[in-house]
This record gives sequence, structure tokens and C-alpha cells, in this order.
Amino acid sequence: MAALTATAPAGPRKLLASRKTRIGILYALPVVVYLLVLFVYPILSTLLLSLKDADGSFTLHWYADALTGVNLSVLITTLRISAETALFSLVFGFVLANAISRLKPLWAGVAMLIVVVPHFISALVRTYGWIIMLGDKGLVNESLSGLWIPGAPFQLLYNELGVVIGTTSMMLPYTVLLLYGVMRGVDRRLLAAASSMGAGRVTIFRRIYLPLVAPGLASAGLLSFILSLGYYITPALMGGPNQTMIATLINQQVTKENQWNGAASQGVILLVLTLAGLLLVKAVSSLGASRKKRNAS
Amino acid sequence: MAEFSVAAPSVGAASGKSVTATGKALSVVALRKTYGDVVAVDEASMEIAAGEFVTFLGASGSGKTTTLMMIAGFCEPDSGTITVGGRDVTRLAPQKRNLGFVFQQYLLFPHMTVHENVAFPLTLRGVPKDEIRRRVGETLEIAGLSGFGGRKPRELSGGQQQRVALCRALVYRPPVILMDEPLGALDKKLRDQLQVEIKTIQQELGLTVIYVTHDQEEALVMSDRIAVMRNGLIEQFDTPRELFERPRTPFVADFLGAANFLPGRIEQHTDAHTVVRLDQSGGLLKARRHQLAPGTEVKVAVQPGRLRACATDDGFCTGTVETATYVGTLVRAGVRIDGGDAPLLRLEVPAGRGPVTGERIGISADPDDVNLFPTEQGG
Repeated sequence: MAALTATAPAGPRKLLASRKTRIGILYALPVVVYLLVLFVYPILSTLLLSLKDADGSFTLHWYADALTGVNLSVLITTLRISAETALFSLVFGFVLANAISRLKPLWAGVAMLIVVVPHFISALVRTYGWIIMLGDKGLVNESLSGLWIPGAPFQLLYNELGVVIGTTSMMLPYTVLLLYGVMRGVDRRLLAAASSMGAGRVTIFRRIYLPLVAPGLASAGLLSFILSLGYYITPALMGGPNQTMIATLINQQVTKENQWNGAASQGVILLVLTLAGLLLVKAVSSLGASRKKRNAS
Repeated sequence: MAEFSVAAPSVGAASGKSVTATGKALSVVALRKTYGDVVAVDEASMEIAAGEFVTFLGASGSGKTTTLMMIAGFCEPDSGTITVGGRDVTRLAPQKRNLGFVFQQYLLFPHMTVHENVAFPLTLRGVPKDEIRRRVGETLEIAGLSGFGGRKPRELSGGQQQRVALCRALVYRPPVILMDEPLGALDKKLRDQLQVEIKTIQQELGLTVIYVTHDQEEALVMSDRIAVMRNGLIEQFDTPRELFERPRTPFVADFLGAANFLPGRIEQHTDAHTVVRLDQSGGLLKARRHQLAPGTEVKVAVQPGRLRACATDDGFCTGTVETATYVGTLVRAGVRIDGGDAPLLRLEVPAGRGPVTGERIGISADPDDVNLFPTEQGG
């Protein structure tokens, strides 16, 4: 009897499990097909393209080209501008999200709308808006000259400053949205608890608030960095020749030089950089966690 | 228990400047707080000695939490002063008051381990690393949490988390520790256990504690003195025994003792007693001697456990038992008193000799257990 009750449920349970698995696969099928067709195939074919010589044989010289001379300096410029953009959109995003998260829910909603709505407008239109604002006779320089600020009008366009202003404004909604979500999740009573033990504002910010929103900072910074890496319109319109970014270069090769293989190799490099960035953040955060564990024990 | 006596002196010595056992740890003078037209706390005054366990007891909206928050500095009083160890802290920010606070929701820092949580207030005070490690270790041991130092708060049960929160509030030996319904989120069994633990730690370390709760039993179990609060007023601030046996207002008699109230009129005074004639039965009832003029309308308050069932011609009134519920060691009876349609008189008598439904009984009480309140005092 005991043996019967012990073995009897095992059979049906096994059957159920396998049936569950089969149904699961069925449900997942559309997603798998979707990913294969629209994600895996294009990446693989780009990879193949970047490794193929004109006569169809295997070669690495597209990568050698992409990592030397002008192409290399474009790559470095891209990384630098993306890093600057990530930094500035993180700083401004933090200040903005922090202020919004302290508002009453209704006003916070309105503020978030104001931050996000401009994003519904085409990036091209917004970029031209910036160009009008930042030109020699634009609103910003006219105001500065009117206030007798020495050195005005400043060169705010067609240089790195112009590009970073433009891309930062494009990235801001992402960082604000991400950081706002994390900040809303922080229990404000924890800050009160810290103050009851004698912690001042600076200490509370540094040792309680900042660590609690750190995951949001990391993901927001990474997101704006990755998005900037492949950004095209704003750097192309607001930068000068020295601010050519990798997306512009890829565009030139495909549309003007019909050079698909070179473009493919640069696309792959961009992809690898993005993945490297993701891994870096993951490594840094897990390193921090393990160090903390060691400190405690 | 042995570890308490070992640990207590060293933790005490480490703090260096705790208030002496006879000193006044905290005093509150005419503290008042209003929210619009609502008076949350009305001229609350009290003095708390070092080493005392004081509870603010009241229903929600009684002003107990508001008073605590004003002492902690999270809420600014309209008027009045708060003094901690002789220092006026009324207008100081919370972090400058050097008090401890234990919250109902624990509020442990989720990104820190248990050890880091408890060490946090010490690091703020610039205590050397070795000493931090020693004091945190000792404090965790007192709370029975040795070996949990490396864990994150989310890996602990609710009871353990609240023990950590307690450690964090007492590790730097603040002159007063405030606790806002710290056991409110725990289940009954754990609550009973932690009540005893907190009380034991408080006594062993000589901590001064102000504790807020709405649970009478909890207040009676833990407190040296209880401030019963209602509508922003302190109704009575006394030892549990005094509150229970000598309530000063009908509210206190009802809230703590769940007393029966009977209307009556002062008949006369004898040497030792005041005699009251009850309105309903016309019976005479002896109470402790009160300074009330004969003829004064009074409310007679007696707790259910202090009433006795007796022969029909021995008591101050007679009645019929309508309900009798057996609850283990006791029988709870509801008695319909003759000569009036007052609510059922509630009795708690030892089981075994308990009355039976339908039985005719007399009811008596020891004069010392009978409290009188003039009727105009309200209730």
C-alpha cells in the first residue's frame, strides 16, 4: 500500500511536467521565430559581411581598417562624446528626478509629462530647435551679450559642446524616467531613521540615499551611453567635422561609397562595445557586492 | 540569562556618559500641537527618570504618536519645551538630539548587512573600528543575534529584524530610546516573547525607554509607568497598579479595567467608607472613602473580576444570570440586575463555583475595589 501511494503520483506528475514543457515551447514559438528572423539573422549576416573580402574569401582587413587612422579617431570621438553625454544626462537627470520625486503625486505626474512630452516630437525638429537657440544670433548668445557677459557670443554649435548639449537633451527623458522610478521606490522613512541616529543631511545622502539609488544610476548611465554610441541625427547636425561619430561614418560608407563590408565591421565593433559596457557595469556592481560581503564578515 | 550580566557592564562602560540612575532623563513641559482646528496634543507635561520604562497608551488619534514624534524631533510642537538630560532640545533637528528610535516598520537599511546597520550610528560618532566591532558584537549577542552579522535584513524574519532595529537604537547608548509600536507588525506569540526580551534588556542595561502602544496588556506587562492618553490629553500618568486599582477618570477605568458602570448617589460617609445608593436596585454599596458631598450623583465603577457572586440577600443588588461563558480558568457571566434596564453587569468569577444561566444571585464587592466618579466628569 505504501509503495503504491509512493509511486502512483510520480507517473502523472512526470507526464504533466512534460506536457507543460511542450505547451510552454508552443507559447514561446512566436517569440523564438521573431527573434531568429529579426534579430539573430541580421546580426549573423552583418558579421559574415564584415568578414568577407571583395572576392568572397575570409578576411579581417575591414576590422584593421576600422581600427586605424581616421576611423580609429572617429571611434574614440564616439566613445568620448557618449561618455560625456552619459555623465551630463546622469547629473541633470539625477537633479531633475530627485526634485520630481519629492513633489506631491499630482505635480510629479505633471512634471514627468513635461519631461517626456518633448520626446514625442521628431528628434530632427528638436535638433533644429537647438540650432536656432544656440546660434551666434540665437536666444542664448543674444541674452548673454545683452547681459554684457565677456566673450559672448560663444561658439555653441558645430563643436563638441554643441553635440553634447544636443545629445544630453535627447537622453534626459530616459535617465529621468529610470531614476524617478528608482527614487520613488526609496522608503523616505529610512532617511528619517538615519537622522534619528544622528546622521546629518550629507551623511544620509552619501551613505543611505545614494547607495539605494545606485542601481538606477548605473542602468541610466549605461543606457544613455549605449544610446549615444549609435546616435546619428544630432551629432551630424550639431557637430563639426571633428565630431563625426561612428553612425555618421557608417551612413557615409553605405550611402556614398557603397562600402557595405566596412560599414558592417564598424557595426559589429559598435555592438561589441555595447556588450562590453554591459559586462563592465555588471562586473563593477558584483565586485562592489562581494567587497561589501568581505567587509562584513 | 548569564550573558546579560556579563555584557551589561561592558556596554555601559563603553558609552561613558550615560545618565546616572537617579537623574531626570527627560522632561516635557506644556507640549502642544495642533493640525488646523484639531488639537493633537494638548499641554502634555511629564517627567521621566533615567532607567524608567514609560508607555504612552491610547487609541489611534489620542496624540501618543504625535507626542513621541515631537520628542524625537520629527514633528515640531506649537509650544512647550522638551528637555533631555537637562538640555533643551525643543528646536533641535532629530540628528542633534542623540536619541534612539525604534520604528514599527523596522526601517533597517536594506543595502547594509546586520553588522553594518548596527555599526552605522557608531561610525557617525567616530568610534574607532576595533571598538565598533566589539560593541556591535556585544549588542547583537544581547539580542541573541550572534552569527547573523553578515546577513542582509531581507534574509531575516520580522522578529529578528526588529531585534536588529533595537540593537541599532541602543548600541550608542542614547539617554532615551523611543519606540513607536515596535511589535505592531508581529504576530501574537512573537509579540509576547519580544515584550519579555525588550523588558529584560531594558532592565539589564538600565535603559530609559518611551514606548507607544494601543495594546493595554502590552503596556501593563512592560511599563514602570503608563501615560493613558485620549484626545490629546494625558488622562492619567501612573504605575500600572495605580491605573488599574485607582483610575482617576471613568475613561481610564473603562480603558484599562473594562469596568462596569452603575449610576448612584452618595448616601453618607462612615469612618472608613463612602456609602452609595444605587439608582436601579436601590441597594447600598460601600466604596473607599471619597471627598464627595452626600447627594452627589456618581458613577460607580467596578471591574468584572472584582465583583463576586453571593447569596441573594448578601449583596448590594440581585439579578438573574443571562449568559455564562466558560473560558478556561474563568466563567464570564452577564447578569440582568433587578429594578432597571441597565446593560448586563459583567462578572468574571473563578470557574468551578461559577454561576449557571438562569440562576438568581446576589452581587457583592470589596469596598476597596469600588471607584466613584462624579457624574458631571463625563465618560
